[in-house]
Amino acid sequence: MARVTKEERKNGIISAALKLFSEKGFYITTIPDIAEKVGMSVGNFYNYFKSKDILAKELVLYISEYLGNQIREINDREISTEEKIYEIISMYFNMADEKPEMIEYFLRVYLSNREVFGDGCEGMICVSPFVTEMMMFFNDGVANGDLHDQDFFSAFGLFMGYLGGMVFLFGEKILPEPLEWYKESISQNIYNALKTR
Amino acid sequence: MITRQLIEQIEGEASVYFDIKEKKVNFATVTFPHFRGMESILEGKNALDSLVISPRVCGICGHAHLMATVRALEDAYKNAGCEIILSEKAEKIREFTLIMEMIQNHFKWLYIVIIPELAKLTNSILEKKPLKGAYAASLAAKAIAIFGGQWPHSSYMIPGGVTCDPTQIDILQAQNHIDELISFFERESLGIALDKFLSFESCKDFNKEIQSDITLLEESLIVADMNHKGLAYDRFIVMGEHDFTHVAKLKQTRAFGVDSKYVSTVEAYSPQENTYAYNALYKDEYYETGPLARMMSISLPIIKNMHRRYKDSAYSRVMARVFEIGYMLNYAKELLQNIDILQESVVNVADIKKISASGLGIVEAPRGPLLHNIEIKQGIIQNYKIITPTQFNIGSSTIEKPTSVQIAMKGTTKEDALFIFRTFDVCSVCTTH
Amino acid sequence: MHSKQDNKPRLLWLQGVTCNGNTHSFLNLPYLPLLLDKFEVLYYPAMEALHSFEEISACKLSCDVLIFEGAYDPLMKRNGVFMKEMLAHYAATAKHIVAAGTCASFGGMFKEAASHRNSGILFNEEEMNGPLLKHKKRIINLSGCPIHPEWMGYTLSMIANDQTVITDELHRPVELYSNLAHHGCTRNEYFEWKVDTKGFGQKEGCLFYEQGCRAPMTHASCNKILWNEVSSKTRIGTPCFGCTEPDFPRTELFQTKTNMSIPEDVPLGVPKRSYLTMAGIAKTFHIKRLEGKLIDYKTTD
Repeated sequence: MARVTKEERKNGIISAALKLFSEKGFYITTIPDIAEKVGMSVGNFYNYFKSKDILAKELVLYISEYLGNQIREINDREISTEEKIYEIISMYFNMADEKPEMIEYFLRVYLSNREVFGDGCEGMICVSPFVTEMMMFFNDGVANGDLHDQDFFSAFGLFMGYLGGMVFLFGEKILPEPLEWYKESISQNIYNALKTR
Repeated sequence: MITRQLIEQIEGEASVYFDIKEKKVNFATVTFPHFRGMESILEGKNALDSLVISPRVCGICGHAHLMATVRALEDAYKNAGCEIILSEKAEKIREFTLIMEMIQNHFKWLYIVIIPELAKLTNSILEKKPLKGAYAASLAAKAIAIFGGQWPHSSYMIPGGVTCDPTQIDILQAQNHIDELISFFERESLGIALDKFLSFESCKDFNKEIQSDITLLEESLIVADMNHKGLAYDRFIVMGEHDFTHVAKLKQTRAFGVDSKYVSTVEAYSPQENTYAYNALYKDEYYETGPLARMMSISLPIIKNMHRRYKDSAYSRVMARVFEIGYMLNYAKELLQNIDILQESVVNVADIKKISASGLGIVEAPRGPLLHNIEIKQGIIQNYKIITPTQFNIGSSTIEKPTSVQIAMKGTTKEDALFIFRTFDVCSVCTTH
Repeated sequence: MHSKQDNKPRLLWLQGVTCNGNTHSFLNLPYLPLLLDKFEVLYYPAMEALHSFEEISACKLSCDVLIFEGAYDPLMKRNGVFMKEMLAHYAATAKHIVAAGTCASFGGMFKEAASHRNSGILFNEEEMNGPLLKHKKRIINLSGCPIHPEWMGYTLSMIANDQTVITDELHRPVELYSNLAHHGCTRNEYFEWKVDTKGFGQKEGCLFYEQGCRAPMTHASCNKILWNEVSSKTRIGTPCFGCTEPDFPRTELFQTKTNMSIPEDVPLGVPKRSYLTMAGIAKTFHIKRLEGKLIDYKTTD
């Protein structure tokens, strides 16, 4: 049997923790819960993460990098800004569908437990890979004349707030249709709101 | 017969066409053959860009152009209902750097142009020492750079004030440069202390016992009979608002008020060669501008004495410029002592894109009034018009209505006329911009 | 036998479409008399030299070092002679040709006087197709509006000492144009921590984010070799306008061009993605010392 690398063990912990945090909640989940789920001793767990807070921060970075990589791949494609918007939304909704624990963690844990992320994860530090890619997206859109020039956060808030809201409604089982069903119209709405006038 | 003379070392070139009768200048016309179109370069640009472009009108007095531009912009703000009140600190710093540029200019003119030309004319013992002028000018430029970052081509004046935020050390360093420049002027030019020079009340006070560049200059001017030559209309005009002079129009010694609306320009008369110059007039008359005009308007005793004796001769014109170096050095020192670094450098102003208005900026440049007229629509320059002091002094008109320089050259030998031409301190690049 | 004097390189300074700014800037060189002593100056626009312009424009002389100031305009005449002819005549035998200032180097400000025909002597903005193309190996561009006196001082000293001046692809001496104008700026710490200036007229804060400063994208040693030996634009709160680069003068000079608040141009050679990552993180930290006044003038009792 092949030896499991340290990196793989670490990723294992991350997926287990994400699942537990989203099922049981961040505060209720304990380190022994996580250790048990990945099948390691609590002592060994501490070799990977010195505390639950550090794990929590690593998770944000992990998700941010995951999102950043996905958006970067879209940014690098030779397609119009309108198509990029559609692709980013598809990717995001897909992730909410297939890896709901990631989005859940981001929306429910990171955004609502700021005290945990104060030291070393404040501001842009842990979300930088994701936000940087969104900056690149907006920058390119304005530079090629597709989007109108405005303040970054006004545009960013419109885009991500909308998606976050939809995922929230989806998570609360309020949406009558699957997320997939809304992609087209949401893309259109976002593009219409941001496009050059 | 008409003969052409190329004039160099006047910030570009000009030609003077002389009509000589019995070895005397009967009439002369002036041609400025180069043109860059600064005004059209400015049009269509963001109005703030003029702060970068207009200093590039001229390498020797670009700072005066910067100040005329910023005043024109601030006037446009005012006309758009957004009046800007500068801090005293910003006013003083602007005034200081403007004056230092003037001093820089005068030193160069004195050592690079006037002394060598007069030496040629009189075969006198006047020594040609152009690098002395360059050195003194570089000290003045250093003092500008402390506030303006660099000279030439600073853009540190902006609507609402200045971009610099000097410390007390900066002020002290500027003071040291002034002190060094004053001591250079005393040692190398005057041969006496500046205070003593500034206390002169009569031409007789030029101490003939001490020999210095300035006493030799004064003496040589007399030897060349320049105290009786080079007279123009004996009419002067000062238009830039500053604490170091008075805005006035003078006919002989009588002073009158001035309104810039009476300034007009006409195409220069140059029958021999294509010129790009326009003459500037006030109420349809030609006036002399520059140091003699400025010193007359504040009734400085020595200048009044000079004028009483020698009127607006080449002598008075040259000596007034020399005197202005001392006067301005003293004034600059005073300005520095009164800068309160705790005041704001710049006051907040509205976004230029919200401004649609016209504005006029007038300053006293080294050679006299410099007018910039700007028309802005939503922050974009629609129209820009520049009138420079050399356009007042060195116009070229018909024999029926000669300009200041034309009348000053009339009746002298060609050699004298060429010297007289330079006593006005001609700036070719400014004239045609 | 030649005296020592006769062996001095003969220097000639000609002018195209110009404001004379380079001529006057050069006069500020602290060691000007010593430098001029190493040359036989045939003609200099602001000072009497060995020859009058009448003699120079007759194109009967030759020179070793030709300095050209101002934009090249094929239609321009001086003293009735096409500058085109004069330039060709003197360039043919000159061992070194120096473009003094951005107009002579790339076209600069006075390319705009007649943009369809004016250019630098070797380059038209970034394109190498100027009138002196065939002499390109001997051309040194000293861009800058105006030139920094020390840059000309360095170049002429190297020539006088028979030393080779190594240049970059735009023919600018590497010793002078490898630095960015940003290097040595007193506001560097504000740049590092992404602290914008709160407006003009402040010692504090960086001019890159809003005020249009081009220093991180401009090859120039303005903040290494100070202007007039005392200061620089950015030190006194004026943005760098990028006057040493082929695209000078740009427009909207007092405003940073941004796309959704993201600077269109980022520091030279830095990928925008890397820049944004670094900038975003640096902005997160609020460094109290950098947010307040640099100097507290309140007196202590």
